[in-house]
Amino acid sequence: MTLWGGLVIKTIFVQGPVPGLRLLLIVIVSAALVVADARFDKLSRVRSAIATALVPVYWVGNVPDQLHDWASGLFVSREDLQQENEDLRARLLILQRRALKYAALASENNELRRLMNSSELLDDRVIVGEVVGISPDPFSHELIINKGRSDGLFPGQAVLDAHGLMGQVIQSSQITSRVLLVSDSSHAVPVEVVRNGLRAILLGSGDSHNLELVHVPDTADIREGDLLVSSGLGGRFPRGYPVAEVSRITKEPGEPFVSIQATPKAELDQSRLVLVVFPPQTPESDRSEAAPGEPREAPGSPLPGEG
Amino acid sequence: MLAIIGYPAFLISVLAGLVLSISLFPVGWFEFRPEWMGLVVFYWTFRAPEHFGILLAWCLGLLLDVLESAPLGVNAMAMGVVAFLVLTIHHRLRMYPLPQQSLIVFLLLGISQMLVHFIKQLLGGENAGFSYLWPALTSALIWPFFCVLLDNINRKLG
Repeated sequence: MTLWGGLVIKTIFVQGPVPGLRLLLIVIVSAALVVADARFDKLSRVRSAIATALVPVYWVGNVPDQLHDWASGLFVSREDLQQENEDLRARLLILQRRALKYAALASENNELRRLMNSSELLDDRVIVGEVVGISPDPFSHELIINKGRSDGLFPGQAVLDAHGLMGQVIQSSQITSRVLLVSDSSHAVPVEVVRNGLRAILLGSGDSHNLELVHVPDTADIREGDLLVSSGLGGRFPRGYPVAEVSRITKEPGEPFVSIQATPKAELDQSRLVLVVFPPQTPESDRSEAAPGEPREAPGSPLPGEG
Repeated sequence: MLAIIGYPAFLISVLAGLVLSISLFPVGWFEFRPEWMGLVVFYWTFRAPEHFGILLAWCLGLLLDVLESAPLGVNAMAMGVVAFLVLTIHHRLRMYPLPQQSLIVFLLLGISQMLVHFIKQLLGGENAGFSYLWPALTSALIWPFFCVLLDNINRKLG
């Protein structure tokens, strides 16, 4: 009777197998997944497949922004458009003048490089992407852009906007990619001061208007207003792109290093169009493009950033 | 009391939950964004415990992991735990008035957020104090509206 009664009660109050067992199962599976993903990086293909399946979600999530763009484009007066057109023409003229000079400089530079037997290319190949989403986690600074593996993107590529370095691609699905911004607290860029070539590491701080330059000795020649450009050391970021400007230097007596704050040059939370840089074609990068299954083998360190 | 599961309503709520998890919230206020997937999992385990269980919740959590680019399995485990806790108390939960249900929502989603935060800390995330509990609070505040809305959709489509 107790057995029978127990069975009856069970069918009423517990649905299916014991939930505790399932909980144990999923806790074990989850723990295994977390370790495999976060420690050993084995699941990037699974993640990329799920991300590809979730593309409609990203697309729907981006619809309000597109609607907003469309609606604000709907009610623009002719005068405004003409004004904007003229401004753009003026800007184009200025840039063209600069490009004229640049051509001369580039040929001079190539000549000098040739004299020095250096084979480095001056210009990088880029592709333009649009920001279609941002990370829902308030503690991580990430963007989602509308270019993915089908456009040849792979983790480790540098991402720029019109003003400077924004971050790097950390994961690419078929038609979208995830970009870790320089302001994320897990990100680091090797930089140098333009004025004198002083090298340092620029860390993100979790604040999109503030980066930290670390391990700069007390006596180093660095001033507020100095421009920091990527140094190219570490092999992940191309050399010479502006990253940040030193905004504040605090010297603490007794400390071996000065604390230096820098403001990112790129408009990390505003830019909608970004440039993804392809590294110069070397045998190494050819290999990594030929084997998209192993995106983490891209040139550079296996960690995001060089820190 | 509703005991049926309307599959169209279920699909719609899951899709809406996924979209809301990445969009439609002012950027500066991300900290306070309700835990939409947590609410969806809570609602369906509460309303249809026979159909919607821990494994399905785990799968939804996995999708959320990919959307948030958290380590795979973190949110999945948290969602599974929410589903498990709802399964253990759903009989009592039915008797509670909405405000008391909100309190339970706060407790359960708070536990899941704590779990997520704990694992992220273990993996070297930054410590942001107790601010990770905001989503649980906003979810609790939004629960009465969420529940009534989904009940209505369920009735129309189910």
